[in-house]
Amino acid sequence: MNPKKLTIETIQDALRAHQYICDRSLATVVYLSIAMGKPLLLEGEAGVGKTEVAKVLAEVMETKLIRLQCYEGLDANTALYEWNYPKQMLRIKLEEVQRGDREAVETEIFSEEYLVRRPLLEAIQSDGVTPPVLLIDEIDRADMEFEAFLLEVLSDFQITIPEIGTIRAKKRPYVYLTSNRTREIHDALKRRCLYHWIDYPSLEKEYEIVMTKFPQVESLLAKQICAFMQRVREMNFYKRPGVAETLDWASALMALNRHELDEATVNETMGCVFKYREDLHRLEEELSSKRLDLNQMLKAPTELQA
Amino acid sequence: MEVTAEIIQDAVARYAAVRGQGTLANLLAFARVLKQLGIKVGMSQVIDASRSLGFVNLASKSDFRAALRANLVSEKDDIALFERVFEFFWQDDHPERPTVDVVTPPMVSGERDGWADGEEGGVEELLAQGQSPEAQPEPDEEPFSVPTYSPNEILSRKDFSEMGIEESRAVARAILMIANKIATQVSRRKRRATKGESIDPRWTMRKSIKYGGEIVELVARKRRIKKTRVVLLCDVSGSMDCYSRFLIQFMYGLQNELWGVETFVFSTSLSRITHLIRSKDIAGALDRISNAVLGWSGGTNIGRSLQTFNQDFAPALVSHRTVVVIISDGWDRGDVRVLEREMRRLKARCRKIIWLNPLLASEHYEPLCKGMQAALPYLDYFLSVHNVHSLVALGRTLQRLVA
Repeated sequence: MNPKKLTIETIQDALRAHQYICDRSLATVVYLSIAMGKPLLLEGEAGVGKTEVAKVLAEVMETKLIRLQCYEGLDANTALYEWNYPKQMLRIKLEEVQRGDREAVETEIFSEEYLVRRPLLEAIQSDGVTPPVLLIDEIDRADMEFEAFLLEVLSDFQITIPEIGTIRAKKRPYVYLTSNRTREIHDALKRRCLYHWIDYPSLEKEYEIVMTKFPQVESLLAKQICAFMQRVREMNFYKRPGVAETLDWASALMALNRHELDEATVNETMGCVFKYREDLHRLEEELSSKRLDLNQMLKAPTELQA
Repeated sequence: MEVTAEIIQDAVARYAAVRGQGTLANLLAFARVLKQLGIKVGMSQVIDASRSLGFVNLASKSDFRAALRANLVSEKDDIALFERVFEFFWQDDHPERPTVDVVTPPMVSGERDGWADGEEGGVEELLAQGQSPEAQPEPDEEPFSVPTYSPNEILSRKDFSEMGIEESRAVARAILMIANKIATQVSRRKRRATKGESIDPRWTMRKSIKYGGEIVELVARKRRIKKTRVVLLCDVSGSMDCYSRFLIQFMYGLQNELWGVETFVFSTSLSRITHLIRSKDIAGALDRISNAVLGWSGGTNIGRSLQTFNQDFAPALVSHRTVVVIISDGWDRGDVRVLEREMRRLKARCRKIIWLNPLLASEHYEPLCKGMQAALPYLDYFLSVHNVHSLVALGRTLQRLVA
């Protein structure tokens, strides 16, 4: 898709066509980040589809997705570039045997052929028609040093390799950063980004998501699943389930050929929704004590329009 | 801190004069209001916000809102406040509010230091054009009514001679252990070393040059130990009197075992005593402290002490590597809102806040006093210290937690 012809509506529709249901405010922010050439920082609970935005957008724009998964201790060598040392050494040894031209070898082993491109360099060097989508995932896992380094790259979109020179992005990649808020991101980095908080979806939206991903699922089951998830999210679980869990659960129920939820089914398949023993235990208690009344809850969603 | 409708109203009213001078002026005023209510907004963000308005349909209020929000807010917790201010500020036909009786809002966060260097200006100039001088907002001053907050403040000098400090070996050992736990932390980053877990190809290659490219030495990498700075804030007000002997020892022990410890004591005000306890001579140190510190055993104003700390010392002393240790029972006679705000500021700046509370040991103690409650959400660890045993326990806890 031509980035110049984008509007908020076309983005929303295109994302929808690629099975990503988003509300208008997210579409607006995505549009702005493309139009302004500004990175977008997406925050939200786990499993609400932060990473998915970038993935789907790469599909929509028909461009490459370059992903940098952050972790503590991630450094410039892993994120940017590294010389291919073994290859360089082999080359030197080879030249020794063949008694080649020493200077020529020196320049050659520091040429692009011996460069290992890591995600950031790849994103900047990419010269497709449409710039790539650069996804910097879970930035909160990286440490402050990396954040500072990233700041530099994201403000100029250029990288200097001493042996080769400065490489400047021909077109700025579309940059998406995600964070689970396990720690505060530095203000300086935030200031360079647009910000959007992705909340858990509303009942209607979640229903739409399920129906879009699994068109063959029965409407009643989808409603029940969503109603259940909405209710559970209001409760105080250690790890509240996200949309990812909803989809997992829906697909599990379809595989089991269930058309409706009942207590036995819920108990059998709860492992799709809750991933902690304490949470599972808690849910059992809530169900058996009727504080969480399954029957009542499953009747309720019928007012939701299909 | 609860931001009430009145506070928002007041904040908006301050910039009423700028209204109607075009979108940019409105936007600047809006950003200023957000800023005043505690949302961090930088000038570059305002400029980008104004740029972004060129891309959205301004007739659609929700798009306009989304564009402003994406640019001006960068924190989930600020979204709700943003929405409220937005609703209030960008009313379709706002009645012009009076510009003269601008009242300094009671407890709006007093951070006027915020627009980073050289970014001051914009709104002030606009205000100057559009407003009579007497309506200029005054710099926020904390509305402390000094004589009333701590009626029985005794600015007394404690006679240290009756404390009779003797070096208890157990205490010293426990403190040493704690000090080590607080101060060292293994980094995930690696540095070069002769022995280590993995090979560093870059440096192995570099070293091989002197042997003509033949690899003789292997350079390894191992985990770095990060030095953590510790700032110790000790409550020496009257309510802490019975622990003062321990406090002194703790301060002294920590300071002398660790590199880069800064020690402060506070009651109604804050004093830096790092230099006073640097020497090896404990008894002499006590004399020096008791001479230098006013308000020992007096009333408590944790909020104001923290404010002093945040303003005067934190910028230089506290970074993301700093662990702040506060020892206090949390009985606070100052304004709880100040305490809450200052805790939040401190939290945003430092790596961890550890609060050691001697009262926590008593079985019936619950952190009910307002000061403690206000501080609780910002603490990383809330632990007990009251005797040697609890000190050792503290050391173990930290071992697990800080690692």
